[in-house]
Amino acid sequence: MAMTREEFLKSSGLKVQVLELWIEQEWLVPERTPSGLRFREIDVARARLIGELQSGIGANEAGIDVILHLMDQLHGMRRALAELRREMGKADV
Amino acid sequence: MKNPYEVLGVPSTATAAEIQSAYRKLAKKLHPDLNPGDKAAEEKFKEVAGAYDLLGDADKRKRFDAGEIDASGAERPPRQNYYRDYAGAQAEHPYADASGYADFMDSDDIFADLLRRSQRGRANRRGEDMHYRLEIGFADSIAGATRRITLPDGGTLDVKIPPGLVSGQTIRLKGKGAPGFGTGGPGDALIEVEVLPDPRFARDGDDITIELPVSLSEAVLGGRVRVPTATGAVTMAVPKGSNTGTTLRLKGKGAPKRGGGFGDQFVKLKVVLPNKPDPELEAFVAGWEKGKSFNPREEG
Repeated sequence: MAMTREEFLKSSGLKVQVLELWIEQEWLVPERTPSGLRFREIDVARARLIGELQSGIGANEAGIDVILHLMDQLHGMRRALAELRREMGKADV
Repeated sequence: MKNPYEVLGVPSTATAAEIQSAYRKLAKKLHPDLNPGDKAAEEKFKEVAGAYDLLGDADKRKRFDAGEIDASGAERPPRQNYYRDYAGAQAEHPYADASGYADFMDSDDIFADLLRRSQRGRANRRGEDMHYRLEIGFADSIAGATRRITLPDGGTLDVKIPPGLVSGQTIRLKGKGAPGFGTGGPGDALIEVEVLPDPRFARDGDDITIELPVSLSEAVLGGRVRVPTATGAVTMAVPKGSNTGTTLRLKGKGAPKRGGGFGDQFVKLKVVLPNKPDPELEAFVAGWEKGKSFNPREEG
C-alpha cells in the first residue's frame, strides 16, 4: 500500500524538483522510514489537489498554504463532528 | 451533454482569458475538496472541468466549434478519489489538524470531553510501539549476547542482550517502532526477553544456585570436582566431611550486578549413593557400628 518515492512520482506525475519543494513546504508529509520516504494514497490525492489549486484555480504559493491549512482544519472539525455524532449515538443522549 | 459554453456561462465569442476566468470562478465554488460536505459538488465540478478541458485548449475548442468533435469528447474518465475522501475518513493521517476547534476542548462540559476523546492522539501522533518476543538460553542471559530478529515486514532488528538480563525483562530500542504521523516521530521497539530455563541453574537476584551431586567418598573424604557455571565449568574443592545440603560459594561466578561486579554461585551438594547395590559398601555399612546408632530424624 505504501509507495516509494519513485512509485509516488510515477503515480502522481510530479517532477522530482516539484516533489522536493512540496515536501520542503510541508504540503506533503510522507513517512520517513529507515529505507527512505513512504507515500500513501492520501498523498497522491493531496498532490493532485495541490496541482489543481495551482494550475486550475490559479492559487499562488501563499494561497495554497492557507487553503491547505484551512482545509485540514475543516476536515479535522468534520472528523470531530462525526465522532461527536457517533459518541452521542452510543450514549443515546 | 450540455453545451460547454453554457456550462461555463460564457458566450461562444469569449476569449481564452475569459474562459479561464470563468472556469476558475466556478472551480473555486464547486471543487469537491473545497466543498467536503457537498456530495453533489463532484458531479457539478466534473461537468465544469470537462467543459474547460474542451474550451481551455485552443486546438480542441477550434475542432469543437467546427463541429468535428462534440461535447461528449470532453467527458472525463470518472476520477477515483478526491483528497476529501481520504482526509474525511476515520483512519489516521498525517494532515489531521485539530487547531480549528482546540479551544472548544478547554472547557469541561460533555462536548469538550467528547472532543478530547475523539482528538486524543491524532495529529502529529507518535508512532506505535511495536512489541516483540525473544527467547534466549540461560548462559546468554548471564553473559549477554546479540540476537537478530526478523520483523513482520521482512526487515531485521539487532537486539543487544545486556549481561545479567532477567527473564521477562523488556529491551527498548528507541525509534525502532512504527513510523509516526507528522512531527510525531517513530515509536519504540519493545522486546520482551524470555530466558529459557536451564534445569541445572536457578537464579536468585544476582546469585545463581546449583545443586551438585557428589559421591559418598567425595563427601566424606573431600576432593576436587568440576562444577558447571553460566560461563563454563570450573574446578571446586569439596571439603572433607561435606554433606547433602552443604552449600559452597564460588565467588564472582553469578550474574553481573547493576552497579558493577558480579554475584556469586552457590553450589548445594547432594550426596548420591551408587545406583546399583554394591556388596563392598553393604559389608562396610554392616560393620559400621556408629553409623547404626545415628538417627538423622532426631535432633542433635
